[in-house]
Amino acid sequence: MNKSSIAIVAVLALAGGFAMSWIISSGKPIELEAGTWFGDQARALPEYELLDHNNQTLSRASLHGKWNLIFFGYTHCPDICPSSLQTLSDMVAVIEDPDVADALRVYFVSVDPERDKPEVLASYVGYFNPAFTGATAQMDKLKPLTRSLGIAHGIRNRVEGNPVYDVDHSAAIVLVNPKGEYAGLFGAPHDAVAMARDMTRIVEHN
Amino acid sequence: MQRFFLLLVLLLPATGFAQLEFSDAWIKNLPAAVPVRAGYLTIHNPRSRAVSIVALHSEAFASVEIHQTRMQDGMMRMDPVPNMTIAPGATVHLAPGGLHLMLMQPAQPTRPGEVRRITIEFDDGSMQTLELTVRK
Repeated sequence: MNKSSIAIVAVLALAGGFAMSWIISSGKPIELEAGTWFGDQARALPEYELLDHNNQTLSRASLHGKWNLIFFGYTHCPDICPSSLQTLSDMVAVIEDPDVADALRVYFVSVDPERDKPEVLASYVGYFNPAFTGATAQMDKLKPLTRSLGIAHGIRNRVEGNPVYDVDHSAAIVLVNPKGEYAGLFGAPHDAVAMARDMTRIVEHN
Repeated sequence: MQRFFLLLVLLLPATGFAQLEFSDAWIKNLPAAVPVRAGYLTIHNPRSRAVSIVALHSEAFASVEIHQTRMQDGMMRMDPVPNMTIAPGATVHLAPGGLHLMLMQPAQPTRPGEVRRITIEFDDGSMQTLELTVRK
C-alpha cells in the first residue's frame, strides 16, 4: 500500500465514522426534497415583537405549538411574493393528511413596514389564504428576527416623499418548530408538491 | 432570376415587417389595496432582424415597464429593463420569477377574467396593442 492509498482509506474511514455517528445520534435523519432541515440542531431565536394583521402582538411565544412557515416580502412586490404565497397556499391544499395540515401555520412578514400597515396586510394575505397571517414591525424591531434567521433585506432608491421605492429581500421560506426554534429553510424557487411532502415527513417524524 | 425576385417580394413582408406574435398574455390579480400588478406573456419575433421595445403604454395603468427579478447577494431584486431586444426568430418568455411587465397604479381594480390592453412601441416606430387577461 502506497502513501496515497493509505490516505484515501483513512479519509474513507473517517467519513464513514462521521456518517455512522450522525445516523446513531440523530436516530432517523430527515432528508428534505425541497429544503434544508436543521432538525436536531434547531436554534433558539431571540425575543421579538411584531404586529399581525389583526393588530395583535406576534412574539416568540405566538409560534409555539405548531410548525410555522414564514415568508418575508412586501405587498408592493408583484412577481416573487404572489408566486411564493400562492405556492404556500397550494402546498397546504395538497397535504393529504388533515392532521398535518392542521399542525401548520403560514406567516407573511413584511420587510416594508412603512407601506404595509395591518389593513393592507390583512387584505393581501387573505387574498391568498384566509388562514395565513400577515405581520410586520418597524425596522429596529424587525431586524433582530430577520438577522437571527439569516434573512437579508433592504430598501433601495428611497427618495424622501416619494412612495415608490424598491425592497430587496431573501426569497427563502423559514421553518420554525413548535418550540419557536429555527428548524429549517426552503430556498427559492419553491415547489408546492415537494414542500407538502417535506412538511408531511417533518410533522409525522416529530 | 425572375422567380427569385418574386419569392423575395413574397417573403419580405413575412420576414422584414411581420407583426410580433404575443401569446399567453395574463396579469396576476392582487387585492385592490396593492397598487402594482405583474403581467406575463410570450413574445416571438418572426422578423429577420432584431426588434427592441422602446416604450409601453396603457390607459389601464399609470405606467408600464419591463422589469426583471433576479437574485443578488442572497436577495431577490427587481430592476427595469429599458429597450429589451428580441433577436430575429427568437422567443422571449416573461414569466413568474424573471422578466415581467411592471404595471403600476391600476386605473380600476382588477378582477379575474377581465382584460387590460397594453400598447408596445418598437424601435422602428411601429406599435402593437395586446390584450392581457386577469387571472386569479
